[in-house]
Amino acid sequence: MINNENKVLTEAVFYTLLALYSPLHGYGIMQETEKMSNGRLKLSAGTLYGAISTMLDKHWIKALPSEEESRRKEYRITELGKSIVKAELARLEELVENGKKIIE
Amino acid sequence: MKKIVRKIFFVWEYEKEEQWLNEMSKEGWELVKASFRKYQFESGIPNEYTIRLELLDKSLNSKESTSYLNFLKETGIEMVGECKQWIYLRCKTADGGFEPNNRALYNLTHVLKIQEFISKTKNRLVALIAISMCGLLIMNHLEPSNFADFISGVCTGIALSTSIVTLSFYPFSKRTNEKVKAAINELYTCE
Repeated sequence: MINNENKVLTEAVFYTLLALYSPLHGYGIMQETEKMSNGRLKLSAGTLYGAISTMLDKHWIKALPSEEESRRKEYRITELGKSIVKAELARLEELVENGKKIIE
Repeated sequence: MKKIVRKIFFVWEYEKEEQWLNEMSKEGWELVKASFRKYQFESGIPNEYTIRLELLDKSLNSKESTSYLNFLKETGIEMVGECKQWIYLRCKTADGGFEPNNRALYNLTHVLKIQEFISKTKNRLVALIAISMCGLLIMNHLEPSNFADFISGVCTGIALSTSIVTLSFYPFSKRTNEKVKAAINELYTCE
């Protein structure tokens, strides 16, 4: 599916989707995001929880089956999620390209 | 050293309450337990913890709330107290506290949750006023008796006190509406 609704992802969502190219649990996503952004983006637990539940509803990510229900869950990006990331990347590239053209 | 403080904050004073708890934390009083009107502190390192008040969508024992609290625990946020659906959370200040990534969105969600809670309560109060008014009308049509007088008195009492409480919510509603609008305006420009 293409990003035909002209969606703009939040930073938190974009980085979470990137982090979930390999399976991670909530805290892992926070650490990975901080690492990727060189410490600039620290996801707050509330923001991440909201982002994860919304992305699960949209099927951008899925929860991996865990043995115990209440233990910490791991998540992974879906094919739909990957297409969303690609569309967002194209949009970001357009922004950067146009920004550079005018400013430089 | 332990310290118990009894203090009353109304629902709409959650910001004041949070501020007070964080000031206590800065003075080295760590909140270890909280319930309605009663706060228990222990002396510790000043400003070690940041406190946040949150309103849960569902009751504390529901599956949704449990999974939310488990998630928070995993990231180092503990629940130290509860009062119905309000929860008191604490997080090490050094870990960045509770600072949300999107302040406007956070404010909006928070205020809307509280508004929902208030409007539910207000609806119940209005229903209570209506019921006691009906009771009053019925009693007025009965033969005068001690019983009818007593019930009328009770109904009048309930109707009057509930009306006062309901009216006291109005300035609060106005303020929350302004907060919602401010947060939406913010969202026009920034994430």
